Amino acid sequence: MSDYPEAVNIQAGAAKRRQAVEMGALALLVVVFLIVSFIRQNPFAEGANPGKAIGLIVAAGLTLIMFSFLYRDNPLFKIGENLYVGVSLGYTVVITWRDFLRPLVYQPLFEAPTAAALQSSLLHLTVPVALGILLLGRISRKHGWISRYAYAILIGWGAGVAIPLVTNSYILQQLTAAVKPLQEAIGPQAPAATTFSQAWLLGTAGPVLGALVAMIGTVAVLFYFFFSVEHKKLGSAVSKLGIWFLMVSFGASFGYTVMGRLSLLIGRVNFLLGEWLNIQNK
Amino acid sequence: MSTNQSRPRYYELTRRIIYVSIALAVIIPYFYNPKQDFSPSIEVRKVYDKVESLSPGDHLLISIDYDPSSEAELYPMSLALLRHCFKKGVIPIVMTPWPTSVGIAKKGCDEAVADANSMFGKKVVSGKDYVFLGFRPGITNLMLKMGDNLKGAFDKDYYGQPTQGMKALAGVSSLKNVKLLVDLAAMGTVEWWIAYGADKADIPMATGTTAVMTPDLYPFYQSNQLIGFLGGLRGAADYEKLLKIPGRGERGMLAQSVTHVLIILLILGANIHMFASQLLRKKEALS
Repeated sequence: MSDYPEAVNIQAGAAKRRQAVEMGALALLVVVFLIVSFIRQNPFAEGANPGKAIGLIVAAGLTLIMFSFLYRDNPLFKIGENLYVGVSLGYTVVITWRDFLRPLVYQPLFEAPTAAALQSSLLHLTVPVALGILLLGRISRKHGWISRYAYAILIGWGAGVAIPLVTNSYILQQLTAAVKPLQEAIGPQAPAATTFSQAWLLGTAGPVLGALVAMIGTVAVLFYFFFSVEHKKLGSAVSKLGIWFLMVSFGASFGYTVMGRLSLLIGRVNFLLGEWLNIQNK
Repeated sequence: MSTNQSRPRYYELTRRIIYVSIALAVIIPYFYNPKQDFSPSIEVRKVYDKVESLSPGDHLLISIDYDPSSEAELYPMSLALLRHCFKKGVIPIVMTPWPTSVGIAKKGCDEAVADANSMFGKKVVSGKDYVFLGFRPGITNLMLKMGDNLKGAFDKDYYGQPTQGMKALAGVSSLKNVKLLVDLAAMGTVEWWIAYGADKADIPMATGTTAVMTPDLYPFYQSNQLIGFLGGLRGAADYEKLLKIPGRGERGMLAQSVTHVLIILLILGANIHMFASQLLRKKEALS
């Protein structure tokens, strides 16, 4: 029991009033949305495409519902969130069945036009389908061990294929690029320069400086993550330089992330103004 | 005590002011669209030049690795690339390893086909001037299979037409016969396409990615594993500018610039506010 029951009652009353105001505002917004939608995208108007108009209204409504989270988490946002997950999953299941399982597994095995076709399908599909079914063993705790055979093949085959390709693409080719001569940074056809000012005028100084910065950055960052030697004196300076390079890279990533998120917002706003409200920009 | 109690309300208000300012910064430029002068980046120019260097009848593979949640950034790239192909007579082979990308990939093809008719006066036909292969699962396995036998990986196109004997795929037996591979990705498939597709088949590769993913591409660009890339909406705008066909990318640039300036001002303002508050608190503590 609170020491101040009256204060608790006042707080509860204020919360209820606030909730009622919010629900009223929400209802009003829904009505406004529907009126605006039917003015700008009337599906029953003469010559209108009802499917497209209703699709636009639903898409606009869901967009606004998702934006409502900026005010506060609310039941409509929860509905939109769950709808998104459900629709994505449903769409994935339908497409996987229609474009993959039905034409490549079900039809060859159960709707084979001839006995020879069925024999060929059985020959090619029995093992992969059996392995796929074994994977479903994970669903059961008791029979989960069955899936290990399929996983063993997946991992063994996957690692065998991946190791040479990944080593080549992510390690060897990257190492080659990191240690290539500076001449390659400006290209083999680039005119030779004897002084820095000459190189600047010829436009070859930029790529060379870029390659040098990349080289210094690689060494400094690698040294920062090299813990077998205590970072003292010169080591400390190189290590600090490594941190600076890392910070610059984080800054670049953050800048790009901001740009990406704003692009998504611009996309949605352009959709709402251009397609839903049908306002043509210049 | 009073400061602690008033803080949440103050911050809540600031948060909402920021939301409203960003919303206005995006909405207002929609109504004013002056000509923006910007020069396309070298990375985008290289992709454009590569497509431009292809001959009519050459094949370009486009892997659509994004779903509608990244439409704003990547759909303009798809359109610009497909329009470029149709303009040049290059045959795009469009496919996706993601089930949720099928709809948006088809929408891009349909829109670009309609544009080819209205913009270049060309009647582009599926199976002859382009092919939309649709979806197959497996991702890396699919890439490997395409490297060996592309028509084996996709025995039919999206519309159910057999790929064997298809005019659009004449001379293409595997990835090796493709002149350029372009991955338009919002998911981590770029590295997979590099290792399992382009490097293995020894073909040039370019990408168009969301801005968030773009910084990770520079090492591959430096090592020439990527000939170039389109980064975010700006990348799409650069490509549209080079192609001289305005689209959603270019249209979004003014809003992008205005919001970037606003964010810079907000960061500066917040920092000035923070330092000023610290200074004031120190002064109060001293007095």
